[in-house]
Amino acid sequence: MIKFENVGLRYGIGPEVLGDINFTLDPGSFHFLTGPSGAGKTSLMSLIYLGRRPTRGLVTMFGQNISDLDRRKLVPIRQRIGVVFQDFRLLPHLSAFDNVALPLRILGRPEKEIDNNVNELLDWVGLGDKTNVLPPTMSGGEQQRIAIARAVIARPRLLLADEPTGNLDDEIGFRLMHLFDQLNRMGTTIVIATHNQAIIDKLGHPCLVLDSGHLHVDEPKNWIQKKIEGVF
Amino acid sequence: MFTKKDRKLGVAEGKRQYDLPLNKAEGSGFLILLISLMTFLAVIALAASFVLGAMTQRWTSGLENRLTVEIPAENEEGVILPNEDVKTLTADIAAALSKHPAVKNTEILGEEEIQELVSPWLGDDMVLKDIPLPGLISVQLHITNPDTLKVLENKVKDITPTARLDTHQTWLNDLLRFTGAMQFAAAMITLIIGVTTVTAVAGAIRSRMAEHRAEVELLHLMGAKDDYITEQFQRHALLLTLKGSTLGVLAGALVMTFISLISGDTAAALVPDFKLNALHMITLFLLPVIACAISAFTARHTVLHVLADMP
Ligand SMILES: Nc1ncnc2c1ncn2[C@@H]1O[C@H](COP(=O)(O)OP(=O)(O)OP(=O)(O)O)[C@@H](O)[C@H]1O
Ligand SMILES: [Mg+2]
Repeated sequence: MIKFENVGLRYGIGPEVLGDINFTLDPGSFHFLTGPSGAGKTSLMSLIYLGRRPTRGLVTMFGQNISDLDRRKLVPIRQRIGVVFQDFRLLPHLSAFDNVALPLRILGRPEKEIDNNVNELLDWVGLGDKTNVLPPTMSGGEQQRIAIARAVIARPRLLLADEPTGNLDDEIGFRLMHLFDQLNRMGTTIVIATHNQAIIDKLGHPCLVLDSGHLHVDEPKNWIQKKIEGVF
Repeated sequence: MFTKKDRKLGVAEGKRQYDLPLNKAEGSGFLILLISLMTFLAVIALAASFVLGAMTQRWTSGLENRLTVEIPAENEEGVILPNEDVKTLTADIAAALSKHPAVKNTEILGEEEIQELVSPWLGDDMVLKDIPLPGLISVQLHITNPDTLKVLENKVKDITPTARLDTHQTWLNDLLRFTGAMQFAAAMITLIIGVTTVTAVAGAIRSRMAEHRAEVELLHLMGAKDDYITEQFQRHALLLTLKGSTLGVLAGALVMTFISLISGDTAAALVPDFKLNALHMITLFLLPVIACAISAFTARHTVLHVLADMP
């Protein structure tokens, strides 16, 4: 479904933030992306959701070579990807409801369907009573749940979440991980960037480990432990 | 206690119109004002060019096929002729001209009419018999072209070489050149108005795009088609322009009504019974439509240009 071959990324004329990234994500897989702060997790995510073009290497998404496609052909690919941004990127002047409804409106779904789906999901993430509230007046955790709801509302084929549990207490964190797990069982491919070792351990999915711009795939085990043990 | 305003704080109000807060954008008022001003000027320029057009048409249609023959009251040697002789000559020339197929009719101006013409210069109390009066023939033609005029002139000069043909061509040409220049100026003003409007709208849209760059980029990343984003800016520009141009046209119509009221007789004398006809009215009220089209097109073009730079 996603294939990176010798992908490199640099910002402007700076040093390579990512170098020689090689990995493949199979449809329906569930990966954690982990690594120290500044390792390039967010940067790698942005390459996957087509927020940036790599400075070198080959990116294949949904069977298509990204660099061969023209702008128009990228639209349907983007519509199949849901993203929870590390900084949420909610639209501050839109209500919680309208923020979550955005992907459906972009897809041109009828308002009635949007109404039902959005309200149901907002209830599910525990914000059923805040549909009309504007994001800037919400707590960090509430905003994060809005961001997650927005990312999953259109049932994406690929879900990327950058530190989706950073501001959440353990209970709601696990609840959301459970949501991700359910989506994964329904066929959604999932990549979650996180520092939360408890969650990684509990769910036991393979890890993509980024360290100073390089990536290796790790089977479900405590990578920090390994680092301490001096494995790499 | 909560006031109504307190409760509204932080709560989305009303129905969502845009994904981007364009309807609350700052500077919209200024753009509306600018567009209404531009439309107002366009109304005035257009109206002026309509009036000029009507004037020109009137003058040309009235005068083009007319010429005046003047038979001076003196012969080639400068000897004053008796009035009787002048009258005979005048009658001869009128008769000769009438025979030409290009001539529709001829009219010899009588003494009273000539007196009327000269009285502003000479005063009413001049005794006509005392001064030598020229003969004047007003000639209406079926067609006017240089060849015919030449033939007619020769005919007249055969009878008396001192006679002069006044075709009104010279001053008419001056007048036409003047109204032409005015119409050209009006057209240039309209063009400048158009360019200014396009520039203003493009500038406003570009600054809105810059202001909401992060949001626009987000929509783009979520898979919004260019059209989805463009339409929001287009609708925004369209609404502003509709408001502004409607205001402008109304103000223009008001001012024109006012002008025609206060200038009443003068205007009528200058431009006999000129009224805006249906076509003119349609053109004037089409202005907002044209302005909106220009504006929407500009907004669309501007947004697409910015979007093209996104990954
Ligand atoms: N827009 C940018 N322009 C220039 N450099 C950037 C930009 N974004 C990130 N970087 C740099 O790229 C490197 C990787 O950043 P990135 O945000 O991908 O790390 P991260 O793994 O997500 O970190 P964290 O765990 O703190 O979120 C950092 O050194 C950062 O300074
Ligand atoms: Mg990050």
